[in-house]
Amino acid sequence: MADALLRCEPVPAAPAAYSGVTITLAPPMRRWSLRAKSRQALETHLGLSLPRKIGETLGDIACLGPDEWLWRAVDVEPKETGAGLPLSVVDVSERSVGIILEGHAARAMLNAGCPLDLERFAVGRMTRTIYEGVEIILSRESETRWSVDVWRSFAEHLLLSFTTVARNR
Amino acid sequence: MILIHCPYCDEKRPELEFTYAGEAHIARPADPSTLSDEEWERYLFIRANPKGRHNERWRHSFGCGRFFNAVRDTVTDKFETTYKAGEPRK
Repeated sequence: MADALLRCEPVPAAPAAYSGVTITLAPPMRRWSLRAKSRQALETHLGLSLPRKIGETLGDIACLGPDEWLWRAVDVEPKETGAGLPLSVVDVSERSVGIILEGHAARAMLNAGCPLDLERFAVGRMTRTIYEGVEIILSRESETRWSVDVWRSFAEHLLLSFTTVARNR
Repeated sequence: MILIHCPYCDEKRPELEFTYAGEAHIARPADPSTLSDEEWERYLFIRANPKGRHNERWRHSFGCGRFFNAVRDTVTDKFETTYKAGEPRK
């Protein structure tokens, strides 16, 4: 798994700086997809509190849907995956690549391809959305720092799209 | 761009995040093998296709991922309301 976490292709490991925004590869992290009809069942199983509302984050865990949470952290490994219980805890670390956009122009840049009203997107919020037809998981880590999780096979296209927008601002 | 209220996320989100999924409240026959070809055809292909108020299914594909139902006017393209899957017809 250690090797898998160092995989960053097709995103270059070196940051790329443009006017008003820097595009960086996110630090390596584990990702767990948590699914359950009952939030309490998952909380009891993991011994953690989960956010209640879609879009909210609590610690490293974000609520993406009525029965879906995403746990992203550098070094976590749930003891049990919940076999036999009405819930699922699945390691999806390798599925996506994280890209960090930082700078005063990052929001405007994201809005070039994402239809959400990002001016009203609160810090700490995480949601699944779309960027030029590509499914992404977007979160705002601070006023000027955004994190984008994208499936590896779409990453090259998305990165090209980001750099094209950044270059032409 | 149309903003659609997702009953699960409980907020208005841009249309691009959603996928249309046909007419709502069409129940699959309990025992398809007892149906005549005409009845099966009616279930599979024949839809109300109204001019005006239409109950339809949508999916918040690029969001919470859930299917829900909506009432939309097919003339004005205005959404009257949206409600969770499983709730009675509005």
